[in-house]
Amino acid sequence: MVGQELFSGFALPLPLAILLAGGLLSPIFGSLSDRMRFSSFKGAWMVLISGGALVSVYLLYLQVKASAEEILLMGVWGQTPPTAGCFEIDMLSVFMAGSISVLGLLVSVYSISYMAKESRLTEFYTLMAFMMAGMMGIVMAGDMFTLFVFWELMGLSSYVLVAFQKRTWGPIEAGFKYLVMSATAGAFLLLSMSIMYGMTGTLNFAALSASLKGAPVTPWTIFLLSCLIIGFGVKSAIVPLHTWLPDAHPEAPSPISALLSGAVIETGLYAMVRVLFLVFEPGFFSWPVAILAIITMSLGNIMALLQTDLKRLLAYSSIAQVGYMLIGVSTGLSYGLLGTFLHIFNHSIMKGVAFLAAGNIVHMAGTRDINEMRGVGRMMPITTFAIIVAFLGLGGVPGTSGFISKFILFNASLGAGNPILAVVGVLNSTLSMAYYLRVIMALLDGKAAEGMKVKEAPLMMAGVSLVMSILIIALGLYPNPVMGISADASEALITGLANYIGAVLR
Amino acid sequence: MYPLTPFLTATGLMLIIGLTCLMVKRDMVRILIGVEILFNAANLFFVALSTQTTGFIDPLPQSVVMMAIVLDGTVIAVGLAMVVNVYRHYGTIDIRRLRRLKW
Repeated sequence: MVGQELFSGFALPLPLAILLAGGLLSPIFGSLSDRMRFSSFKGAWMVLISGGALVSVYLLYLQVKASAEEILLMGVWGQTPPTAGCFEIDMLSVFMAGSISVLGLLVSVYSISYMAKESRLTEFYTLMAFMMAGMMGIVMAGDMFTLFVFWELMGLSSYVLVAFQKRTWGPIEAGFKYLVMSATAGAFLLLSMSIMYGMTGTLNFAALSASLKGAPVTPWTIFLLSCLIIGFGVKSAIVPLHTWLPDAHPEAPSPISALLSGAVIETGLYAMVRVLFLVFEPGFFSWPVAILAIITMSLGNIMALLQTDLKRLLAYSSIAQVGYMLIGVSTGLSYGLLGTFLHIFNHSIMKGVAFLAAGNIVHMAGTRDINEMRGVGRMMPITTFAIIVAFLGLGGVPGTSGFISKFILFNASLGAGNPILAVVGVLNSTLSMAYYLRVIMALLDGKAAEGMKVKEAPLMMAGVSLVMSILIIALGLYPNPVMGISADASEALITGLANYIGAVLR
Repeated sequence: MYPLTPFLTATGLMLIIGLTCLMVKRDMVRILIGVEILFNAANLFFVALSTQTTGFIDPLPQSVVMMAIVLDGTVIAVGLAMVVNVYRHYGTIDIRRLRRLKW
């Protein structure tokens, strides 16, 4: 008996309910705090709801762990799931929800201080809450319809957040590019939903998997695979579809860059992995995904070498990291997926701290150009420590958490009999250190630092970066807690699939 | 049960028209119309498939399509708001002028 909770009314998972209700109440509290001239209350409210989301994800984890087969089923409209929308929560959903809410909490603490001088803060925090709610809904969705609704909620709030600082031309141009590409991808996602419906007559994940997995290859399944890769690939920035990312991520405000790079593209990747593994046999998509992985990491790293803008460099490095994550997907083994999900968690912390520390430098030094920030690092010790740790982690230096997940990924590709992926991955890691070290050298340039007047970032901003960089080192030296949960998460996708289907279709 | 071929043809044509519109047109409003045509191609295909069950018409695609219409309407509204802001900064809505962000 699976832990099935079908309420007669309207039931939502607790983290999602907190984020949606918090987002809806946020304009009311915002206008109240305008009346009382107490503007930091808006940020405090956002910290409160994202903290509540983190706690309730932990409660959900305990609940899922306690249920018989580690799956929790929630019907939305009180109907039995195959016919109505539902939330189906397994260890993978809990893992992704945890990764999103950890980053969300840290980013919302950071943005109190970073956004203090901006206007329209009420809109900012409301959109941020809805973006997190969208991601939370995607990772917990149990059918394509629910996934699509939350997908568009996440997309819609992120378009507005990218174009948030509309006084200058950059964010508007980046936002429009992002909107057109993502909306086109949304149309292809809807098309792939209609094809899946036409093949099976249902949109529920479990029912889809039961009738499509192992089906013979026809032109329609190939068309379906390409529609799914286009639909999910634009959000997760797989290379031929990545062109919006290096514009949109740097032009957004720094906390939003961290959230976009650390959580949104991973949520896109999660949705792709979930649907691909449910609908197809791993052997069917492993070659296309392997080719995409090689192109994605090579092009991301080569383009990052050419950048002079710090945030743009980090955006290209995100594309390269998505390439590493695709290695694990293409192996089709649960060991490879362990590497993918561990790397998703580590990347969300590492790229989060890299963008937040870059935000500190942009905030205090007022420039994004690497050549103009020579020697700034000598003036800002905490920020520089955080950014160096993040860069070493992203490059995969032993002792940081990035090393462990990359090691597992390359090891898995050797185990799956695909050594070329491991070779290209190791070469790319070496290449990526070239541009990380270039930034570190520019920051620590002693000659340029003489007579410079740049102060350390405010306590809250520097503190968040420091906490996250310590987390990187701690998880690099003692990875067992996260490793255990992500091992459970990857098992849920391969060996737990029968339970996942059985929870709905009994 | 209706024959599926006319709907398939119409969907294919709308996909081609929408993608061509995205690639060829210079006017930003027309690009948004191209996105809308792509969404409607998917919607049309969805509704056409709902008539293929014997004896009754499945309500699930109808509700999905209703929701999708609302969602793509909001996306287009945000896009139009961005077009207004582009006009304020650049004085034009020609997409080829928006090429300050490169590489």
